[in-house]
Amino acid sequence: MNYAALETEISRWMATGSGGFEEWILRVHRFQRARNPAYGDFCSGFPDPTRWQDIPAVPVSAFKTTGLRSFPEDETIRTFETSGTTGGPPGRHHFCSLSLYLHAATRGWVGAGLPASDLVAIIPPPGEARHSSLSQMASWLVPQDRFYFGKPGELLGALEKTAKPVIFGTALAFLDFFEWMGSRALVLPGGSLAVETGGYKGTLRELPKGELYKLFQERLGLPPDSVWNEYGMTELSSQFYTNGMGRPHKAPAWARGLVVHPTSGCEVDEGETGILRLFDVANLGSVCAIQTRDLAIRRGRDFELIGRDPAALPRGCSLMADELLS
Amino acid sequence: MNTADRAEALALAAAHFPEISPPTARDMLEYVRLELGHEEILDGFQWYGGHLSQAIAPRTILHVLSGNTPHAAFQTVLRGLLLGSHNLVKFPSGELGKMEEFPELLPPGLASKLECSRQLGEDWFQRAEAWVVFGSDATVAGFRAKCPPEVLFQAHGHRISLAVVLEDPELQSCPLAARDVSLFEQQGCLSPQVIFVGGDALRYAGALAREMERFALANPVPPLPLDVQAEIAHARADWDFRASGDPEITVWKGEGWTVVHENSRDFPVSPLHRFVFVKPLPADFSSCLARFSHHLGGLGIWPGTPANAERFAGAGFSRICPIGRMQETPLTWHADSRQNLASLVRWVDFEP
Repeated sequence: MNYAALETEISRWMATGSGGFEEWILRVHRFQRARNPAYGDFCSGFPDPTRWQDIPAVPVSAFKTTGLRSFPEDETIRTFETSGTTGGPPGRHHFCSLSLYLHAATRGWVGAGLPASDLVAIIPPPGEARHSSLSQMASWLVPQDRFYFGKPGELLGALEKTAKPVIFGTALAFLDFFEWMGSRALVLPGGSLAVETGGYKGTLRELPKGELYKLFQERLGLPPDSVWNEYGMTELSSQFYTNGMGRPHKAPAWARGLVVHPTSGCEVDEGETGILRLFDVANLGSVCAIQTRDLAIRRGRDFELIGRDPAALPRGCSLMADELLS
Repeated sequence: MNTADRAEALALAAAHFPEISPPTARDMLEYVRLELGHEEILDGFQWYGGHLSQAIAPRTILHVLSGNTPHAAFQTVLRGLLLGSHNLVKFPSGELGKMEEFPELLPPGLASKLECSRQLGEDWFQRAEAWVVFGSDATVAGFRAKCPPEVLFQAHGHRISLAVVLEDPELQSCPLAARDVSLFEQQGCLSPQVIFVGGDALRYAGALAREMERFALANPVPPLPLDVQAEIAHARADWDFRASGDPEITVWKGEGWTVVHENSRDFPVSPLHRFVFVKPLPADFSSCLARFSHHLGGLGIWPGTPANAERFAGAGFSRICPIGRMQETPLTWHADSRQNLASLVRWVDFEP
């Protein structure tokens, strides 16, 4: 089966929204093993999986060093790049079609329970950030004239005029906006939401989630449960959502998280912490199984994200070269 | 207690720590003589050129220790006590192992000159006339910004150490290199992260892997925190993936150790914890270190001849030694390329 035919079948299945995950992810894996030479080489060291949990996951760093395509290179229509924090090459995710990414982003948003109307974005519009997958995703959700990145005054005006605004932005952009607001504070109407994503990549700024969510309450009148987190990656096509504090991220029907022990690679027990692997049927054009650099706690079928905290690593006086390069 | 008494007492206590090459009393007095000109110059005026001079130690020194490397911690505290200063020692959050037993081994006259804590004492900044700070660039910068201008500030930043094997057809240096890499879980500023090999680097890497395994069997890796295990797992996964598509890359790994052979022009990033790279020695070795020139620590060489050391003397390292002795520093080592005893004292001259 060629890419287009499989893409069409997957789109139809995603529209149904349930069941059959293992069958589809194994099918995508077999397709990629055969069509993606770099991934095929990697998989030659692993047996053919019969369970989705056993699909060989590429480290997310592989997107920096290798062109991971399950289609001919000359059919590439878009390439998204990671923001990169280490001075090395960015991770690159190539697409020959954005169809599944579109379906995953829009259906995933609605499926998570997020409103599809009254959205505003504090994300660069795609015309200004062609390599940003987040800008691309936002462009499918937010009307073109509702992007207010770097325009805090206009954003404030838009929020005051919108009945139940849903603000989609990076954590850093929200922080910038709150700082710009100074002592001003809004109380957004009930039903308003904020969806934060990203973090503080490439900056020296950092704020614990609890403190950021306190600012949402103080500056916008949004209680923690009205603040959502979108966990996504340039290297993936699907997103994972949670809201409030201390709740697990949930996957759409076409994706899964798996928390594995760093040494054994086996799934950890319920409530245990390990490395997060993500499996995404919509990632047809690259690799459907990715090992992230994030730690997470297994919560049933979901995961509670801990993230990656280099500061937590006990270090002596031996310098890791990437600290110098960052 | 005069300098000789302190040296005697310190040598007796240090002898309990064979793993850090403890200096003798004679070594310590020689160290004072080398750096300050006379071994009794801390006790009173001594002739210094055409006049008399006395070295005045800081009344109180603040030591901010980093990570879990007992060697550096031991040496800075020893220097402070040898000077006769009162020492405020901020231990890191991680364990320093046996180093923490050191105060109990001192006689009362020296033990009373040592206050150790995992928290900075409220008045420590005000009391100290000299600060010795170990840590990352950010940590050092943070303390430096707080340090009053009249206070002596001695920084020991993080370092990258390497080894170079110029010639070793019999692979004699492999067990020694495995020891240099593995001791202190590669956390020390003198722990080699990359070994550059002239000749057959792949063969060397395979032999090194066997020695890493042998060392690990005799000296098992201590339990590691989960986030450290994760960093190692990420690095292994990264290199396993690269190796699957590049015949020039080979990965060996065992319980708690990893050896990667690769020959790119990039400087590889080790997550530490017995994770070492072996690369062919490039013709332009010095230029490939250029971006780290201000952060180079020690260089292990093989064969460890003076002629070979001369080749690398200007590369930016503060210490060159034979492979196998990278973790055994003499007290007189110019850590961070300076005199670390002399830089703590003030001078008073008397011209009779």
